Amino acid sequence: MKLEGEFTFSGPRERVWDIIRDPDILATALPGTKKLDLVGENEYEGEMQVRIGPVAGTFGGKLIVSNEVAPESLTLTVEGKGKVGFLKGSGDIVLSDQGEDATLMKYSGEVQIGGRVASVGQRLFDTVSKSMIKQGLDKLNEAL
Amino acid sequence: MTYKFIGKRIKRNEDPRLLTGQALFVDDVDIPGMLHVAFLRSDYAHARILSIDIEEARQRPGVVAIYTAEDMGDDWEPGPPLVSPPPTLEGVIFNSRRQAPLAKGKVFHAGEAVVAVVAESRYIAEDAVEDIWVDYESLPVVVDLEKAMESDSPLVHDDLDTNLAAHMFQKKGDYESAREQADLIIQKKFYLDRGAAVAMENRGIVAHWDEKSQHMTIWDTTQAPIPIRNGTAARLGLSEKQVRVIAPFLGGGFGPKAMMFYPEEMLLPWLSMKHCRPMKWIEDRRENFYATTSERQQVHEVEIALTKDGRVLGLSDDFLHDTGAFDPYGLTIPLNTQCHVTGPYDIQNIASNCTAVFTNKPIVTPVRGAGRPQGVFVIERMLDFAAKELGMDLLELRKKNLIPPDAFPYDKEIIDQAFAKFVMDSGNYLPVVEKAREMIGYDQFIKEEQPRLRAEGKYVGIGITPFIETTGVGPYEGARVQIEPTGKVNVATGIGTQGQGHFTSFAQIVSEQLGVAVSDVNLVSGDTAQFHWGTGTFASRGAVVAGSAVLAAATAVRSKVLKLASKVLEAPEEELEFENGTVRVADIPRQSISLGELAALANPLRGAVEPGSEPGLEATDYFGPAYGATAFGVHAMIIEIDPETMMIEFKRYITVEDCGTVLNPLILEGQIHGGVSMGIGNAYYEKMHFDESGQLLNASLADYLIVTAHEMPNRIEIGHMETRSPFNELGTKGVGEAGAIPVPACFTQALENAFQDFDLEILETPLSPNRLFELLQREEHEE
Amino acid sequence: MTKLFKLSLTVNGNPYERQIEPRLLLSDFLRHELGMTGTHVGCEHGVCGACTVLLNGDPVRSCLMFAVQAHGHEVLTVEGLGTIDDLHPIQQAFWEAHGLQCGFCTPGFLTTLVPFLEENPDPSEEEIRVAISGNLCRCTGYQHIVEAVQLAAEKMRA
Ligand code: FES
Ligand code: FES
Repeated sequence: MKLEGEFTFSGPRERVWDIIRDPDILATALPGTKKLDLVGENEYEGEMQVRIGPVAGTFGGKLIVSNEVAPESLTLTVEGKGKVGFLKGSGDIVLSDQGEDATLMKYSGEVQIGGRVASVGQRLFDTVSKSMIKQGLDKLNEAL
Repeated sequence: MTYKFIGKRIKRNEDPRLLTGQALFVDDVDIPGMLHVAFLRSDYAHARILSIDIEEARQRPGVVAIYTAEDMGDDWEPGPPLVSPPPTLEGVIFNSRRQAPLAKGKVFHAGEAVVAVVAESRYIAEDAVEDIWVDYESLPVVVDLEKAMESDSPLVHDDLDTNLAAHMFQKKGDYESAREQADLIIQKKFYLDRGAAVAMENRGIVAHWDEKSQHMTIWDTTQAPIPIRNGTAARLGLSEKQVRVIAPFLGGGFGPKAMMFYPEEMLLPWLSMKHCRPMKWIEDRRENFYATTSERQQVHEVEIALTKDGRVLGLSDDFLHDTGAFDPYGLTIPLNTQCHVTGPYDIQNIASNCTAVFTNKPIVTPVRGAGRPQGVFVIERMLDFAAKELGMDLLELRKKNLIPPDAFPYDKEIIDQAFAKFVMDSGNYLPVVEKAREMIGYDQFIKEEQPRLRAEGKYVGIGITPFIETTGVGPYEGARVQIEPTGKVNVATGIGTQGQGHFTSFAQIVSEQLGVAVSDVNLVSGDTAQFHWGTGTFASRGAVVAGSAVLAAATAVRSKVLKLASKVLEAPEEELEFENGTVRVADIPRQSISLGELAALANPLRGAVEPGSEPGLEATDYFGPAYGATAFGVHAMIIEIDPETMMIEFKRYITVEDCGTVLNPLILEGQIHGGVSMGIGNAYYEKMHFDESGQLLNASLADYLIVTAHEMPNRIEIGHMETRSPFNELGTKGVGEAGAIPVPACFTQALENAFQDFDLEILETPLSPNRLFELLQREEHEE
Repeated sequence: MTKLFKLSLTVNGNPYERQIEPRLLLSDFLRHELGMTGTHVGCEHGVCGACTVLLNGDPVRSCLMFAVQAHGHEVLTVEGLGTIDDLHPIQQAFWEAHGLQCGFCTPGFLTTLVPFLEENPDPSEEEIRVAISGNLCRCTGYQHIVEAVQLAAEKMRA
């Protein structure tokens, strides 16, 4: 499944970059995140509570940051598993200046889901993931 | 032939019980001390199992035991190969890979059972499944048939160096030379996708090992109880006499319940023996989409060779067939496809090349139609395209190629699903086609109605599709008929019944012989304790094969009755007649004796049964047809499509069937209606959506849409013709699957006909409103 | 162990009292606690309608309800409609019109139709199709069911 979109932060690009690279802030921003720990240079481990329609459960997994070009772009790879299924995906994030005090974030990626979340939650996955991303980005923007 | 009971619209014997909630289904079985089983199933379509952590689950109160494949020790063994490839066919390649009771080391499709939990209640068992943690390493997944056959494809079974499950080639005549003589050659490629059977009742098993009597009783939602009994006995090291399998009332079968052995069928009896407690497992709907078999995905590359006046000289079909992760059911489906891809047509040169492919998807076994709808779709599409190219009327082209009545028995010179030569027993096709044409008003619709409605801006189309259905294949079935001293008649047969009305149609056959009321005939079917020879209900064979066995047994009882009655009534047998539960002397009706009294006389408490005779009025007999019986029919429809929503309205729906002797028209109509409803689903609403990682994305009835009362035509008009099959005494041919077979082909034809201005060319099935919209958009863009 | 709830309700006119877990579904309660297995379960997610029973006269999906929600209420299941020797007119009509094949979906159709026919003694075909559109049947293609409803309406009017 493809995920694609953009979001405008009200802050300069360097600030936005710092925030998305800060696990503590990220953890508060991603809805349902129970924990997010830095375990390697560019590797995080965490737990997230997710509800997709009739299916709810905790996913545990890894988040890896690669192709990092500060403060411009990076690639995120996630892999999570839980009792209700699994999720695998990767996406690119690109930041660009949008005038003085604003930053445009463009993201695009592919997610694969399996298990119960796929077989009965699939219809809602699109909407749920979009709204989760939107919520998260709004939170990050507030943190600015 | 005139009958008194056969062919009558008789209400069904079994209905009062079903209507009042008093019929026993598997999930209704409740035994004191019964334990419940739930399965942890794989989330992955293809993965290595790294570890399984069951500790937390084990701690949960009420959990009795938890099993992984390793825990089964030496008893872990894949299921038996159910159907082997045809031994008579030269050069067949067949790689047999079979499902296991629990996945060991690796999972091959999403939904494969990995861990079994045994608990005091179903609720606890399901909770405990949630406590289990399995660590998988995901592997590359094989989903697409064509990609699966590329040399760099990942492998489903890595002990094979290919995803090829089977390869077989069948031919008649010489296609290459036909091609040289042809005026017109058309090549097309078709994509057919997968659908589910969706019986309203999910599967279920109760296994009860009684330690004291050393006896196993199994209630199973199976269409084939006898093979299940035999196989279970073999697996557990018991004698066949120690195992009784009961297929009680089943909430629909439609093919997948004839698959054996499902992992659960291997496990439940084993668990019951292990724990000396009754065990129950009832599938839920999501499991049903994954763990129950499904069917129909194929990719065909087809070429047809014709003369310019529309004679089909030859057909070549090269197709891939999805068999899913395992192939226990052998080549039944593709063999059916091969038999039906030339349909009712006299085509002398055929080359049919089949490659069955392993994929990381649930196992494929027959679903109502079983490869036939695919064959019919392919040939009918090709003929549609040919008619267009030749500027001929669709129906004229077909009529030109029908097998003529004097050509029967007609030898297609290929092997059918029973491994017998595909010899078509009988038929007279043209009148059936003409009748359908008349009923639907074909000519008038094309000439007048359609142009008028089109001018009003309406999109209306007509489809008319002849088809054959091979039915009633061997090997054999049997039946026992016995008259009780009460005058009631007991009939036992081995096949299971899933709503086809056997309780009534078989009773009619018996009544015809013995003159008793249909409601006085009590049928037991699907209980191996009552009758333990036979194979099962599939391939539209129940009425033909088991029905013929019932006839044979009833006829034998009839002659016993005559012999005894002649002695008692002191009248020659020829002068006796059966009437209303009695035997009487034709000219002196007062001189009569009831069947019950005769039954009592035949089983005396004193005196001697004469040497050479048997006590009782009972007989057992069998029927094994050398060849199946091939039914014929035509479906025709007029549809209107809303160009905004792509929703379909069926203006007319007509079927004309020739299935030989009709046992009970009420039941026949019901079978046709139900088949058509499944066919409509197959054509336009139902498709199992697998994503590229092998996940089924619509595993619920909210997402996988079977037709409701709304999507159906208001009236299916049914016309009958009757060409009796010479291969069985009843003269009947099966009809169980007929309704579903031609619908996708006919519907597609009607759609194209409705969108003539768009030059729409449909090369796939099933469609959906969305998909149709896309196809039409594409045409518009191209213009 | 979860706390048990003391449930009392009326099923087919008879009072019952049971100690049950609050999460027990009404369908499971009827089938497995009371042994009234006429109510069938085809999907457990509210789509097929096989589990339909009447709660105080209104059709509900017993797979979507907890048994405790029926506390103090009246439930009618297929077992309460008619008996083998004395069928309810709707049951009789289904029999005569061949409105069932495997019979698995049938109890849900019957219970859906009881209040429908009471409120609509002379329904049109379209109304009938709407009334049964929440019940799935895989065997009949619905035509004989529609005819059975028409016949039942006729019988009930008489
Ligand atoms: S079982 Fe309740 S609606 Fe299907
Ligand atoms: S009669 Fe079988 S599902 Fe309706």
